[in-house]
Amino acid sequence: MKSHKLTSSLKGLHKWVLIAVVLSIPFVVTNLYYLHLINLIGIYSLVVIGLNILSGYTGQVSMGQAGFFAVGTYTSALLMMKLQAPFWVATVMAAIVAAIFGVVIAIPALRLTGPYLVMATVGFGEIIRLVLVNWVPVTKGAAGLTGIPAPSFFGFTVFSERSFFYLIYAVVALGILVAVRISRSKIGRTFMAIREDELAAESMGVPTNIYKVAAFAIGAAYAGVAGSIFGSFSGVASPDGFTFDDSVGFLCMSVIGGNRSIFGALIGSITLTLLSELLRFMQSYRLIVYGAILLLTAIFMPQGLSGLGPILREFLSRRKRDKKSYDDVQCSQRKGR
Amino acid sequence: MYYLANGLPIGAIYALVALGYSLIYASAGVLNWSQGDMVMLGAYIGYSLHRLLGLNYVLSLLISMLVVACVGMLVERTVLHSLRKRSSPSINVVIGTLGVAIICRNVALAIWGPDAQPFPSPVGSTPINIGNLRVLPQDILIVALGVALMLLLQYFLKYTREGKALRAVAQDRMAASLMGVDVGKADMLAFAASAAMGAAAGILIAPLFFVTFNMGAGIGLKGFVAAVVGGLGNIPGAIAGGFFLGLIESLASGKISSGYRDAIAFSVLIMVLWLKPSGLFSRTTKETV
Repeated sequence: MKSHKLTSSLKGLHKWVLIAVVLSIPFVVTNLYYLHLINLIGIYSLVVIGLNILSGYTGQVSMGQAGFFAVGTYTSALLMMKLQAPFWVATVMAAIVAAIFGVVIAIPALRLTGPYLVMATVGFGEIIRLVLVNWVPVTKGAAGLTGIPAPSFFGFTVFSERSFFYLIYAVVALGILVAVRISRSKIGRTFMAIREDELAAESMGVPTNIYKVAAFAIGAAYAGVAGSIFGSFSGVASPDGFTFDDSVGFLCMSVIGGNRSIFGALIGSITLTLLSELLRFMQSYRLIVYGAILLLTAIFMPQGLSGLGPILREFLSRRKRDKKSYDDVQCSQRKGR
Repeated sequence: MYYLANGLPIGAIYALVALGYSLIYASAGVLNWSQGDMVMLGAYIGYSLHRLLGLNYVLSLLISMLVVACVGMLVERTVLHSLRKRSSPSINVVIGTLGVAIICRNVALAIWGPDAQPFPSPVGSTPINIGNLRVLPQDILIVALGVALMLLLQYFLKYTREGKALRAVAQDRMAASLMGVDVGKADMLAFAASAAMGAAAGILIAPLFFVTFNMGAGIGLKGFVAAVVGGLGNIPGAIAGGFFLGLIESLASGKISSGYRDAIAFSVLIMVLWLKPSGLFSRTTKETV
């Protein structure tokens, strides 16, 4: 009993320790390049959280997430540059506009499943990129936008890597919180029902179409927010940053991390970003090894890295249980005597 | 007429690649994301045999198809077979074959270097006048050889024992396996045939563009579009879809703007999918309770 109380308070402690560790990262990691990577991981994980809600929870695989990301970046950048909108207004607008695009692509996607859905989302992502390249008066074409202003709040400008770190991870924390709330709510359960058996869900009276559109809008809004931060973070935006390969990269992060878990999004973005950095010493063989690791993970970890958690926990608890039952047996044997 | 002459050769290429996607989807029920890189490998192997070893064009085409078919079988054994054993979700096949694609691309980069390699056409590059049309001889070669290969594939599927087995698996995997068809072998065959088709597409298109290590990405994507437009798993549909896409692109770049060519192609694709969710050329059956 006492130990139970202890573990529960320990669990509470865990949370605070985690927060403290995260908050102290910018002071421990003094190398600005590493901090830059950590910031990028935060931005990517926002996109991947949205993708996990869309494809992991609702089962609608999207290979066009870079399109929503681009919509977010350009919306917020143009609002800030042309209308001098404050950063937070631009970010909210980026989320809204991206969500509208999500609804637009969801409508033809409602009737599609499997590879057809994949194709529609690929097409959407490519259309966005091609429009960015060709709509020169607004987007400056292939050259892209430069001089996207840094976010500022109450006269305090977020400019250094360190201040960006706090901004980005505050948004990531908010994003995780919202996503966890969604996934545990009625909406989240409905999403999962659609993933498991859309037909059954529909015949149980679930308005599946509305929920699918909602899933697309949520996934797109996450990418939009991430895009808005990304634009201000890097100061420049060009269509090259939002290609099909980037969409595929987001999908890889989602699947490798485990797309049925919100934290899987974080794990996936951390793993793949660090992996491609760690392999840098191999130079031209880097991507060969990267591809091989992708392949092996897909084969040997069907649930992604976050799928390892429950397996590990079960393994540990089984060992504990085995030990316990062994003790019980010993005990009863002794009693028997 | 001009747009037709322009769209047919590229359409034939798309059709060959689309056949690969469709064949694998029909038999194994998965998407093979490394299809585009089979095109690239085919082009490079053909380039090495033809340019560096001086073999003649048709012979290097055949050898390259054979080699790439072996690569395709290897992909089936390593990726699909191991994923199927673990009954993984189908998205993992996409990620796995994507891994294969990245490996292929970078192995090619390591072997042949980052420079684009020219691959001169075996039939010369002086245009021929047919009526008032000027046509490149390579375009004619692409269409002729492409159609020949498609007919060969049809013959293989319709009249050979292995081809019939493949079609049986495509129709009903379970029933075929119960009737004694070696399902694994059929999968391997589908991958081999798809890879060979891709390789042929690569060598055929190489004289029009340069051979580069990342040429597979674009062609692979377009082939996928063509396969989806035609209805995945539908062989005649894939061919029709390929030519359809070639013509749309030719019309779009000629009539509207070449910058928006791909955007228009993708818009047409989404429109097609909206109107006919499983492709233009397949009968739709809506699932009901």
